[in-house]
Amino acid sequence: MRTVAFLFYYITPYIAVIVFLGGIGYQLSRWRQKRPVPANLSLFPRPQGRLGRLMDTLVDMFTLKGLFRVNRPLWVGGFIMHLGLLLLLLGHVRAFTDYYFLWDLLQWGEEQQHQFSAVAGSIAGLLFMFPLFYLLARRFSGAVKWLSSPEDYLVLGLLIAIAITGNHMRFVLDPDTHEIRQFLQGLFRFRWQPAPVSAGISFVYHFAFVQLLMVYFPFSKLMHTIGSVFSKMVAKS
Amino acid sequence: MLTRFVDTIRQRFSRPLQYYQDICVRCGACIDACHFYVVSGDPAHIPAYRMTLAKKVMQGRVSDGNRLHNWYREAWGQESRTAAELERAMWECTGCRRCAVFCPFALDTALLVSAGRYSLLQEGIGPQMIAEIGNAEVSKGEIIEMIQEFYVDQTKELEARLQKEFAPDLRIPVEKEGARVLYVPLVGEHAIVPLAKVFHAAQEDWTLSLFTATNHSFFVGDMDKARQAAHWIVQEARRLGVKAIAYPECGHATRTLLSFFESWFGDEIAGIERISVVQLVASYLAEGRIRVKSGTFDVPLTYHDPCNLGRNSGIFEEPRALLRAVATDFRELTPNRELNWCCGGGGGLIAAPEMKEIRMKAGRPKAEQIRQTGAQWVVTTCENCKTQLGDLNEHYGLGIEIKGLVDLVAEALAL
Repeated sequence: MRTVAFLFYYITPYIAVIVFLGGIGYQLSRWRQKRPVPANLSLFPRPQGRLGRLMDTLVDMFTLKGLFRVNRPLWVGGFIMHLGLLLLLLGHVRAFTDYYFLWDLLQWGEEQQHQFSAVAGSIAGLLFMFPLFYLLARRFSGAVKWLSSPEDYLVLGLLIAIAITGNHMRFVLDPDTHEIRQFLQGLFRFRWQPAPVSAGISFVYHFAFVQLLMVYFPFSKLMHTIGSVFSKMVAKS
Repeated sequence: MLTRFVDTIRQRFSRPLQYYQDICVRCGACIDACHFYVVSGDPAHIPAYRMTLAKKVMQGRVSDGNRLHNWYREAWGQESRTAAELERAMWECTGCRRCAVFCPFALDTALLVSAGRYSLLQEGIGPQMIAEIGNAEVSKGEIIEMIQEFYVDQTKELEARLQKEFAPDLRIPVEKEGARVLYVPLVGEHAIVPLAKVFHAAQEDWTLSLFTATNHSFFVGDMDKARQAAHWIVQEARRLGVKAIAYPECGHATRTLLSFFESWFGDEIAGIERISVVQLVASYLAEGRIRVKSGTFDVPLTYHDPCNLGRNSGIFEEPRALLRAVATDFRELTPNRELNWCCGGGGGLIAAPEMKEIRMKAGRPKAEQIRQTGAQWVVTTCENCKTQLGDLNEHYGLGIEIKGLVDLVAEALAL
């Protein structure tokens, strides 16, 4: 059991990161090997110039404005979920480093930082979780049901599991964030620290699902994170 | 199973298709975009499902007895059923790319359909006739000298008639070296007459091509042949030393000219401007090279944006400027421009008689849209759209007339 725990806390996280980054690299090179299409795939109206294309793509990415125009309910679900995810990712950065310049700028002490991240983290956790339930429910209705693949349920299931275990820690267990931070920073700096105990079994599940997600990411539709930039740029070329 | 299809489409899978297939999240935004799905409720018509289906077949996992296991592996069984589904997914599509506008990642289902059609034809699935017309367009270049004389005679007759009817000094030059514009018409004089009048009024230095702009190989996704057919025109343009190639109102041809020529012909086409006559005629009006009698047409009329001129080529405002100049009561369809409903006749379906029934079904959103405007005339450009709108008019009893944009301009010319 101790060996399994050791592998889980100190070995598989690195494997997950390697598969995640290596897998993305593999997929990108797989795309690159394919012959570029000998045509201009523009969709009109399109922005002018390279910079215009890039700006427009970025605005699209951060607002999903195309979806806003044609499918409002889906936009609400999709946008809020992605917004929550973005905030959560920004928050989780604090597990490894910190926004020192920001705290300096705001002249916030440790107590204020903690309070802020508790509030912001709670909001982000809910913004992330509730739309996921909506997106899952959609999969069981009407034409979307026809369309859905096993992969769609798997990805949603993983994300929901991550959201629930994360929110459980945040809202119910109120763990010692210091302890978790120590552990993750230890992983990051190859100076291993004891695994956190204050977050209980939820941390174990949360950590496990995130590792699974990282391994699955490059080989799933989650590659839209990167691929959609290409497809949007092609359509605006 | 379906091995020829699988082998061919694997070869045809270009870079965008690969990442389209990998990143489609099946969010379903495209469901409401497709006129075929809206009228049929057939899953094979959902744009994202067309993508999923192709992926399934390409993965080539044949099903076994266990349903859950099959579902999880995305396996497919029963070749005939899958083939029939593929046929509907690839052929019952007009390639209008409305779904790409709806898609948050702008995934281009029409690109998949193009590759899918070509691959299905290798299995003998799909209307062979469209491919046959495409072949004829390719071989026309080899026999052009045999038909040239006849063609020139015909044009002379037409010229003489127009000199009598329209203007005594009107000319229809053929094979004129050093002309500024090479105009490539369609089969039939209807694509020459209005332009001859407008060119005459604008005092354009033009010449008529021996070829036609239509490219049926493009419809069936046979890009090598599509390129060969278009190559005759590029060679003609270079032989005559023209400055610009002008394509008729025809939708798919306009798209090949504006979006494919550059990558097909590269340096060969460098320095030769490529323009649709819709843009050209609009520029004549804007520059004052032609004048029109304003308010010539005093009937409520609307403009149907053909997919290939609108969202696929960006020609949105030119037709509207022309119509506002000649008509008193111009009404917009809702939605319009890049969100406009496809007429249901594009993608070569018009050329296949067996597609008539599905065409009439798929045109229902269009018919309803037209009815809502209360317009008596529907003006459009693309030849497919004109034929389809005419059929819809009959089928749905719309009581409208279909008009060509340049025809109206030619009729309203003030000399």
